[in-house]
Amino acid sequence: MSLFRQFILRHLLRERLRTCVTTFGIAIGVAVVIAIQLTNASSVHGFEAAIETVSGKTSLEITGPGLGLDEMALADMDWLRQYGQVSPVINGVVFAKVPGGANETLSVLGVDVLHDRSFRDYNILEFAEKRREPSPQEFLSLLIDPHSIIITEKFASKYGLAVGQSLNLTIGDHVRPFVIRGLLRNQGPARTLDGNFALMDIAAAQWAFDRLGRLDRVDVLLRDGVNINTAEQEISRRLKPGLLVQRPARRGQQVEKMVEAFQFNLSALSYIALLVGLFLIYNTVSTSVIARREEIGTLRALGATKRILAGLFLSEALAFAVVGSTAGLILGRLMSFGAVRITTTTVKALYIATAAAPPQLELRHVAVAFGIALPLAFIAAIVPALEASRVSPTTAIRGSGRIELRFRLRYFYLLIPALLFTLALAFSQMGPVNGLPIFGYGASILIVFGAAFLVPTVLYLVSRFTTALLTKLFGVEGRLAIGNLSGAISRISISVAALAVSLSMMVAIAVLIGSFRDTVIYWVGQTLQADLFMRPATRTNIAVDATFSPEVEKLVSEVPGIEAIDQYRNFDIPYQGGLITLGSGNFSSVIQRNYLLFKSPSNWQSVLRESAGKDDAIISESLAIKHNLRVGDSITVLTPKGDSSFRIIAIYYDYASDRGVVILDRAVFNRFFGEQQPTSLNLYLRKGADPDAARDEILAKLGDNYKVLIYTNTALRREILRIFDSTFAITYALEAIAILIAIVGIASTLLALILERRKEISVLRLIGADRRQIRKMTVIEAAILGGVSQCIGIGVGLLLSLVLIYVVNVQSFGWTIQFHIPVWFLVQSTVLILVATALAGVYPANRAAMLKMAAQEEE
Amino acid sequence: MALLTAENIRKIYTGGETPVEAVCDVSISLDKGDFVAIVGPSGCGKSTLLHLCGAMDQPTSGSVQIEGISLSRLNDNDLTRLRRRRIGFVFQFFNLLPTLTVIENVALPLMLDGGDSNKADRQAKELIERVGLSHRTRHFPQQLSGGEMQRVAIARAIVHRPALLIADEPTGNLDSDNGAKILNLLSEINREMAVTILLATHSREIADAASRVIYMRDGRIERIEQSPRLKETTPSVAI
Repeated sequence: MSLFRQFILRHLLRERLRTCVTTFGIAIGVAVVIAIQLTNASSVHGFEAAIETVSGKTSLEITGPGLGLDEMALADMDWLRQYGQVSPVINGVVFAKVPGGANETLSVLGVDVLHDRSFRDYNILEFAEKRREPSPQEFLSLLIDPHSIIITEKFASKYGLAVGQSLNLTIGDHVRPFVIRGLLRNQGPARTLDGNFALMDIAAAQWAFDRLGRLDRVDVLLRDGVNINTAEQEISRRLKPGLLVQRPARRGQQVEKMVEAFQFNLSALSYIALLVGLFLIYNTVSTSVIARREEIGTLRALGATKRILAGLFLSEALAFAVVGSTAGLILGRLMSFGAVRITTTTVKALYIATAAAPPQLELRHVAVAFGIALPLAFIAAIVPALEASRVSPTTAIRGSGRIELRFRLRYFYLLIPALLFTLALAFSQMGPVNGLPIFGYGASILIVFGAAFLVPTVLYLVSRFTTALLTKLFGVEGRLAIGNLSGAISRISISVAALAVSLSMMVAIAVLIGSFRDTVIYWVGQTLQADLFMRPATRTNIAVDATFSPEVEKLVSEVPGIEAIDQYRNFDIPYQGGLITLGSGNFSSVIQRNYLLFKSPSNWQSVLRESAGKDDAIISESLAIKHNLRVGDSITVLTPKGDSSFRIIAIYYDYASDRGVVILDRAVFNRFFGEQQPTSLNLYLRKGADPDAARDEILAKLGDNYKVLIYTNTALRREILRIFDSTFAITYALEAIAILIAIVGIASTLLALILERRKEISVLRLIGADRRQIRKMTVIEAAILGGVSQCIGIGVGLLLSLVLIYVVNVQSFGWTIQFHIPVWFLVQSTVLILVATALAGVYPANRAAMLKMAAQEEE
Repeated sequence: MALLTAENIRKIYTGGETPVEAVCDVSISLDKGDFVAIVGPSGCGKSTLLHLCGAMDQPTSGSVQIEGISLSRLNDNDLTRLRRRRIGFVFQFFNLLPTLTVIENVALPLMLDGGDSNKADRQAKELIERVGLSHRTRHFPQQLSGGEMQRVAIARAIVHRPALLIADEPTGNLDSDNGAKILNLLSEINREMAVTILLATHSREIADAASRVIYMRDGRIERIEQSPRLKETTPSVAI
């Protein structure tokens, strides 16, 4: 321990800059991993917590497929009471216009308060202050008026609202005034979505949400002593076809399954930053070993064993990992706030409503940070630590213990990459594991390692075949730089590999995103045929239950200039443990307007025409791929008539969501689900009509009583690309961090090389090289490293992008993406990397230029 | 005019806790074509004196002039240029750049001075031939023997036709046979090219080859002897 303190700690303190840079590198790597873990946890756990708080003590819930269940069905379910208490529920999302004009999302729970009090804690502030519970009559009186609402104390104080005050709520496409009758303390369901919760009487909620005669679900609170498993099985058996019993947590699991692939991909990316950070440990420890060869030799001469020396340098790496991980945990918690903000847009746009606040650090995060960083740091330090243990006392003390100079190209430098690439090819042919592209990522890792093993060969070829060119371009400094590089291939290979890996991921992701974007633009161009797209104000991917009211439909149809209106209705239904979307459209309109882009069959028009009145379905590509469904297969989903099978007659491309869509012809849909109000309207204008003018006219006609969203064709295209770009913002952020760490790695390697070559540099100075020439030489060397890394990065990145596009993406999301190389981006990034690495070389270059001459040093 | 004049030079190193006076009040003067050896035990200050005379370092006090130019007036770039053009260096451990071939090592001073690469290669080749290594032109230093490496180092030291050649223990890392060959080569260069040589050595034989021998002890010149080869006192050396 005292040797560690004297030999390692003091040295680290003396080399403050290098110590700080390395610690920071590890900290950033760990921080990224922790931030992403917290971010992922925040979205799903936020949603699950919302379910949990709203569910209260509910043991089981009974739901219908997508549309809930008929109120009358409850009367037939009297037998349920033998299992415990029963409470019908209406659940919805509204926008509350708060003082200041902003619209805040509120989750509304409509219940029969008299029945529901045993299910959930409603702690009304007014009564809580009097230290008593409201009587059922008092509670009921609060909500007897259909315009009454109870909000949370937290929401009220946040927006300056008080009991008795009026609050306008946008529900679906219409605006209704409500009066605040009470405030809930921050307990039970009031904690939902960080206080954005409101309580209504069930009858008022049915009226407000246009769900008269319907219930979203029936909650069951089992009596003491009733076994939940037995009850679930018995209830399931006794329920009428088309109804489903499940535990509340099941909804959370369905959501978890939905966002699983998205979050898995995010986590995989986050580990790259950590891996690159660990290359820094390798660099720093090997720099220490190089710089201190003579000291190591002295220690060896004085009797230190090889094991002691290896142990000392391994403990240096562990010291970095411990300090870096601790700092990384704190930094990760801070970064998670930003990461949550970035990813929430995607999660909310595509998956679920969630409260955007990362959870606290827990012991498991600490375990993850240390459990990953410490072993990896140990592995990273093994090679330099062994190198230290092999330093001979005599060569070190004589100062001639220079590391090998000439790199010999051996067959295994080609054989290992060939093996790894072949294995990667085999992995890429394998299917997903539980819906996750495990083998796809395995193939990516194999490609990355294969490329890393190729780096020495590439550097060897570069040093052999670019000498003349670099000498011509940069003169003697270019020649010296390439000479230096050829003399240090073994040493720089790891740093180049680290940067190349980061860059290859950047290239792969750029190709993926570029290709995806082009595909989406093409898809949007083919499918967005209508002139105007309308939806109720509160309708989003996450609040799919908002529908148009008949009044709005009527008003819109009266607007002159509108040639045709396509109605579309959809909702979520459970399917094989997850959720999919079931929608209704008009097949004849699909044929006429051509607004779906079909993957198969090629004669889809005639197939659709022939399907009139049959139990046929069109499904989205992501559903087909994820569940291995083909044209001609059947898909069975739960409808009010029970499990119903539909023959798949066509598969279409859909990049709007990866959850999978089943579309039934309107007539067939109505047969199973009854006549339903639409959730979106596509309007086609007469030739020559101005879409903006038509949009303004519709909005004017609807006035203040209705709230709808209308996008013109151009605006919707723009909006789709905006959501697309924000989805990938986090990806770029993660990549930028990995590249930054890798560039720091290059600077650190150069510094190590300069220390190793300090004698040669001082000889150069002695025979007439001025400081400027030494600087230029080092900066050229840095830029060569950047250039080589970028070239390898582009090559490997293109390979990786093929895996990402054709394996990982297909298995995760079920999308076909057309491969496209973003040439301009690659040119820009190459220039940027060359400049960035050259700049990273400036500090080592200055250190090199300031080295004393050999003669001065010897004295 | 003397090629090299050092007057009352002192060099004190202050890096440690107590200042160390490595060279103390030394004055020497070398004419064109001189071959002067500095002899003394380790730590006597001979290497420091070489560095000061070779424009590698500045004295704490006193002055050094090369070809009439006072080194104290030169900044780092000027000193570098002076070394690059007028001084050559040979060291005990050869100090060749391991990543450059023999010809590239030899041509390096000319290239660093911005010379034409073809011309530099031509000149380097001539000198490689002269030191008897024309069959090794494209080899790397680690493929050569110690004697060969030192011959390459000598070729590099004179490729730019320097006025002064500084050699620090040039045979110190060689066997006696190779040491004798290197000494002959240095003598030839001194004689035929009229290059002034200032050399530090432990070896009596090497010192005997010089025209004058300066004995140093504790940073001071102890005495000056005329080489037995010449048997005369040299007036240009002053204590």
